[in-house]
Amino acid sequence: MSLPDGIASAAAPIIAVPPAIELHQVSVCFTVAKERIVSFKEYVLHRLKNRVEHQQLWALKAVDLEVRAGETLGLVGRNGAGKSTLLKVISRVLRPTQGRVIVRGRVAPLLELGAGFHFDLTGRENVFLNATLLGHPRGPVEERFDSVVRFAELEEFIDLPVRSYSSGMLARLGFSVATMFRPQILILDEVLAVGDASFQLKCIRRIQEFQARGTAILLASHDLSSVAQHCHRVAWIEDGTIVDIGEARGVLDRYSTAMVGAS
Amino acid sequence: MPSTPVPAGPASAPAAVPVYDSARRPHPFVEELLELWRYRDLVLQWSLRNLTLRYKKSALGVLWTLIEPLMLMAILAVVFSTIFKFMDRYPVYLLAGLLLFDFLSRSTLQISDEIVESQSLAKRIHVPRSAFAVAWILTFLVNWLIALLPLLAIMLWFDGQLTWALLTVPLGIVLTALFALGVGLMVATLAAFFQDVRLTYQVLLTAWLYATPIIYPLSIVPESLQGYFRLNPMLHLCTLVRDPVYYERVAAPETWAIGVALSLGAVLLGWWTFTHWRNAFDYRS
Repeated sequence: MSLPDGIASAAAPIIAVPPAIELHQVSVCFTVAKERIVSFKEYVLHRLKNRVEHQQLWALKAVDLEVRAGETLGLVGRNGAGKSTLLKVISRVLRPTQGRVIVRGRVAPLLELGAGFHFDLTGRENVFLNATLLGHPRGPVEERFDSVVRFAELEEFIDLPVRSYSSGMLARLGFSVATMFRPQILILDEVLAVGDASFQLKCIRRIQEFQARGTAILLASHDLSSVAQHCHRVAWIEDGTIVDIGEARGVLDRYSTAMVGAS
Repeated sequence: MPSTPVPAGPASAPAAVPVYDSARRPHPFVEELLELWRYRDLVLQWSLRNLTLRYKKSALGVLWTLIEPLMLMAILAVVFSTIFKFMDRYPVYLLAGLLLFDFLSRSTLQISDEIVESQSLAKRIHVPRSAFAVAWILTFLVNWLIALLPLLAIMLWFDGQLTWALLTVPLGIVLTALFALGVGLMVATLAAFFQDVRLTYQVLLTAWLYATPIIYPLSIVPESLQGYFRLNPMLHLCTLVRDPVYYERVAAPETWAIGVALSLGAVLLGWWTFTHWRNAFDYRS
């Protein structure tokens, strides 16, 4: 897969390194029971009558993709097109049913900030809980703790239960924990920046700094202007396949034309 | 380690970063073990969370852990003492077995609940869910250590001897913990598929408690039936703990052998069940 000139030169020093993400003919299949069987009793009864029918749902179909270090790739497409499934395959939440995924480096997902926060625990306790949930050992988290709190601007509130936080404070803490270490791959699913205008600027700056230092970024969003603003390349996903991929402007133009035409 | 900032070394040394290759995954059984080791700090943090929440929530805090088994024991002792009055120091016998069974029932139910609950989290981030199971076992081990104080008090109250045999008690509880982890993972796997598993298991636990010589001694069971009672894993695990606590002797070597085999068997089977079927419940939408 060749990169457009502008990006290739920007990523020139690290072009010799293998891509951060490689997908080879990746397919993901979900099994959906036609009748939802929720109890063991029902299952046994159905089994006896030989009636457990399953439907196969292919959320991704033979997707090929390469993302280089330092590159930002936008993902656009309708709800249910397969954007989230693609991100989940890369962040190891799902395994590919077929095909091969290679991810070089640590993946930081910024899917839903503050997932796993416990409201009865203090901000401090939640920082450690969340950081270890994301796979960080405790030692380095302790070292970074003060800078995490400072970035989230929560110095005075860190020993209060998270229950008393506003949604903005929660989002700031979540973002700060999720980005406390520079990952090799950053996954942004609709979440790009949180909080008020000034904090959003801080978020964007941090993400740009990651990128400049070689983090590959995947941004799935319905906000086409922010995709245009941040992404080098864009992949348009439709019905589990990449129907168009290339330089951001061109793909976004074709995508929005198609969307307008469809509605 | 995944989170230590990658040193800005030469670009030709990408070995410093972890590489995930879906085509080169180890067997799920092994993969989950490796991931559990990588997430070991999560295990500790999660147990700490469980303990913090437990002791923050109730006003009595740690005290509750001391009082609860004592009250349960007191009730049962009052009810059954007259029936088993031929038994010397009945409350000691009762509490030793009760604490062990309490550990099994609470930890397995909690593991099952946590695995089911964490499904929504695991759909968003990659996390080895066995970490939660192990964390709960650690949590209940700490609880059990605290509950050891009332047991010691009762032993001393009934003029029990503190013998060297008591040093084998922790080993018995570790074997029970492994057994509970295995059972918990098996129940959790079923519970992730079917909603009625939890209730069924709860009923089975009650039956299991009464089928285990905890409230009564094995000697009152007719000899023709004792063979069946010996099929119950909890009988052997209880013996490992009760022999030093009540009979003031180390359990027989055969019992230890059976205990080790049972707990290793349960934990291996549970781990296999969980890692084998996890795939299937992740892909149901």
